[in-house]
Amino acid sequence: MANQVTLPRLGQGMESGTIVRWLKAEGDKVEKGEPLYELDTEKVTQEVESDASGVVLKILAGEGEEIEVGKPVAVIGEEGEEISSETDDSSEEGGSDGDGTAREVSDDEPKEEGDPAPKREGEREEGREARADSDGKPEQAKQAERVEQPEVSGRRVKASPLARRLAKERGLELSSLKGTGPEGRIVAEDVERAAAQPGWAAEAPASDEVEVVQLSSMRKTIARRMTEAWETPHFQIAMTVDMRAAMRLRELLLERTQEGATRPTFSDVLTKACAMALLRHRDMNAHFAGTEVHIFPTANIGIAVAVPHGLVVPVIRNCERKSIAELAAARVDLVERTRAGKLTQGDLEDGTFTISNLGMYGVDRFVAVLNPPQAGILAVGAIQERPVVEDGELVARPVMELTLSCDHRSVDGATASEFLGTVKAFLEEPGLML
Amino acid sequence: MLLIRRFEEKVEERFRAGELPGFLHVAIGQEAIAVGVCKALEDGDVIASTHRAHGHTLAKGTHPNELMAELYGKVEGCSHGYGGSMHLYDVERGNLGANAVVGGGLPAITGAALAFKMRGEPRVAVAFFGDGATNIGTFHESLNLAQLWRVPAVFVCENNHYAESTPAAQQLPIEDLEQRAVAFGMTSIKVHGQDVEAVYRATKKALEHAREGKGPVFLLCETFRLTGHYVGDPQVYRPKEEVREVRAKQDPLPKLREKLGISDEDWDELDREVTELVEGSVEFAKAGTDPKPEDALKNVYA
Amino acid sequence: MPETTYREAIRDSMSEAMRRDDDVFIMGEDIAEMGGSMGVTQGMLEEFGPDRVRNTPISEMAIVGAGIGAAMQGMRPIVEIMYQDFTTLAMEQLVSQAAKHRYMSGGQLSVPLTVRTQGGAGWSPGAQHAQQLEAWFVHVPGLKVVFPSTPADAKGLLWSSIYDENPVMFFEHRTLYPIKGEVPDEIEPIELGKARIHREGEDVTVVATGRLVHESLAAADEAEEQGISVEVVDPRTLQPLDEETVVASVNKTSRCVVAHEAVVRMGWGAELAAVVQEQCFDYLDAPVERVGAKFTPIPFAPVMEEFVIPHKADVLEAILRTVERG
Repeated sequence: MANQVTLPRLGQGMESGTIVRWLKAEGDKVEKGEPLYELDTEKVTQEVESDASGVVLKILAGEGEEIEVGKPVAVIGEEGEEISSETDDSSEEGGSDGDGTAREVSDDEPKEEGDPAPKREGEREEGREARADSDGKPEQAKQAERVEQPEVSGRRVKASPLARRLAKERGLELSSLKGTGPEGRIVAEDVERAAAQPGWAAEAPASDEVEVVQLSSMRKTIARRMTEAWETPHFQIAMTVDMRAAMRLRELLLERTQEGATRPTFSDVLTKACAMALLRHRDMNAHFAGTEVHIFPTANIGIAVAVPHGLVVPVIRNCERKSIAELAAARVDLVERTRAGKLTQGDLEDGTFTISNLGMYGVDRFVAVLNPPQAGILAVGAIQERPVVEDGELVARPVMELTLSCDHRSVDGATASEFLGTVKAFLEEPGLML
Repeated sequence: MLLIRRFEEKVEERFRAGELPGFLHVAIGQEAIAVGVCKALEDGDVIASTHRAHGHTLAKGTHPNELMAELYGKVEGCSHGYGGSMHLYDVERGNLGANAVVGGGLPAITGAALAFKMRGEPRVAVAFFGDGATNIGTFHESLNLAQLWRVPAVFVCENNHYAESTPAAQQLPIEDLEQRAVAFGMTSIKVHGQDVEAVYRATKKALEHAREGKGPVFLLCETFRLTGHYVGDPQVYRPKEEVREVRAKQDPLPKLREKLGISDEDWDELDREVTELVEGSVEFAKAGTDPKPEDALKNVYA
Repeated sequence: MPETTYREAIRDSMSEAMRRDDDVFIMGEDIAEMGGSMGVTQGMLEEFGPDRVRNTPISEMAIVGAGIGAAMQGMRPIVEIMYQDFTTLAMEQLVSQAAKHRYMSGGQLSVPLTVRTQGGAGWSPGAQHAQQLEAWFVHVPGLKVVFPSTPADAKGLLWSSIYDENPVMFFEHRTLYPIKGEVPDEIEPIELGKARIHREGEDVTVVATGRLVHESLAAADEAEEQGISVEVVDPRTLQPLDEETVVASVNKTSRCVVAHEAVVRMGWGAELAAVVQEQCFDYLDAPVERVGAKFTPIPFAPVMEEFVIPHKADVLEAILRTVERG
């Protein structure tokens, strides 16, 4: 029976070879084990022995031809035999990687000895998959079941070391947080998310239950009004104010403040500046009323006051007619009465503009929600020393950021910008308010 | 011997076909030692082999099916797929294992022989190793200790004049390896390793010596490797004429055949029988069971 | 209960095994007339004779290998390696042979060999006679590693090691040979792979081995005075490790210190720390502290040696660090 002789894989990494010289010609007899041809591989030229005895019936690969491993190079059989397309066992399975199976083995250190046996690649794949499927845990070491903490020592919150630290920094109680990590572990993300929520600082709940807090009527009102406000189309513009002049002004005023009288603050200076600006840019001192805009003759400025679980905005009337000292006194009075719960309805009505100041909380800037139907609300940040360019030089200046939110139905960008520009000018050069 | 020869040839063939993973070292040319020594052993005697272990394993009685199955990494293999060509064990048949570390199995043979002596058993422990191994520490320590304690061991050195690719002149400071034994005061016997009958007789003498409590014996067998160190080895380090000459003149099979005066017909008959056995072993192996991946976790501890 | 020394406890365990079982014997350098360089085998030659208490030449490879061979034939040899530094000479036999025969043969063989060795610094033995290498062997699948710290533990664990079907590396600590402890007269085998809680506590778990068990107990006493309640756990067997006991302890205390005399870097403590980190992550209030020798060979001059090796003070400092007072 004719044997097809294929190019053998003679070492790891061998993919092909070139027959340099045939040592037998067609028609020659050859014994199994006798050298049949000289082969040049990447590494060496060597003699390759015949795997079968018989007569060389046909030579299929020429000298100098590069042949892939596993491809037939000759046929050996009985003398006079017909060469059929019959192939023997080995040629079908000849170490050909012509099926494109990628060999996983790295070739950087070509070892001569040994072979992963490319035909066994499937088994290697199976072994790898089984490994990936098996538990990530080490198999050999006796696996201690995750020992649950004994009841005795009480519950312990599962939190990553990072989450613990962040919670501590943010002043958050771990037990008030919900964990989204493995096995309900609190991870850093959970802490960040909780810290980003507005509103009051989390208090440790008394129990494990979800705490249900009924809205107070004030809260309900705020909720309703905020929803209304959100439905208003509004825009914001911001400006940064150099507060040196305002600070000098305040100092002057403090010097003149008598014992026992209210000490004016920056808020008061700002209130005055806003009031004066509102009378210059009357469109800002207005209410939107559906098909009408009501422009007011006087500036009644609401001051946002934080109260436990809420926000109240009592109004100082006729601000443009009051001196800064008077504004200070009015403010203090309102705040005291607000905190004592002694505001009247009159205190809350007729506001034409609102100022909300979060500077004392260290806030840089923010966007306040409109207080409808008012045309605008001013959000005030903290006064901070910041680097500023003056005449091409870098200097430190105390600055404050103002963000004005406006009802776009009644006010446009130009108006708003001019107004805010005036407020800024007044703060930076108070003399202009005269 | 013919069985070993055909088996090894088949192994080379299957390796080239890409079916056999890992390293393979065939004993073509050294069959006479494996057969000569193993046939001389009695029941209860044990052997430990080297990386070139197929011949010893077959000669000690492992069925070619189990051996081939092991080379294919099947559960039916003599080491159940855990060992492969260089870690062939057949404890029931007295085969304490092939060893991939040169000289690695020698100390344990001294230990086995010690156990036989301590228990008063008439058994002998036999180690196979090559000339290259006579350089390594375990060789010296094992023979030293074996001789000191006069344990019933036989150390069979298959001197094929190459340690992997390094010829004798480059690795042995002495020419006559019997001198190794002299260093330990150990009895030695030298024999022509290609003559199976001579090996058999020499082994018998060595075993007798050991069994009689006279101490271990160093059995030096001069032999030749007819192929490369590993399957696929192009033997670039070996002059071609040497390989040709050795194949022509030092093949133990034709030598035996001539000695026994076996006719062509008888020889062919024998060859057919043996070839059938070998081919059957490949079929057996290929039809064998692959271990499950998780089987890897078993047998680490008793 | 009678008191014996750690040394005597080991001797008694071996002797009792050898009395009951002809298959048990011991080989090593200088173990016969001299009774071993640490005096552990004193008197055994007289009782058992030179066949079973065998002096060997200086051939660690062959001695260990012979032990392997005899063990494969069903005997239970005990090989004494004088200093654990010398196990390096027999590494191939221990790691590539003893540890692997069972596996490579597909379960046909077992190697019930026990290798006893010792180490311990603190007396200027110099760098080559003072190493603590137990971690190397824990890293080899197929070997078991035992390290007792008290006489009772030594006796019970050695018995179990001898009768374990696997090769066992039995580490003794030199400085502990003379310590006394209550030891049961009768052999009470201690199962391999079971830790011992020496002292219960609430605030921090100290996992310690060998000499450091005693240093840790002393440190725990001092910590107590500072109001810190320390639990001291001795794993006793390093391979297989009693993870359950360690994990339960750390889950209870939330803090862990591991202490050994070996070099900290890649010491056994590193493995323990990894196990604790994996399994006790949600219960840890502090990183796992490791106490061990500094990363140097052991120096000769006493002042330098004491600087390198760990003491009670190091364990105490580690304890304090875990409770944020260190």
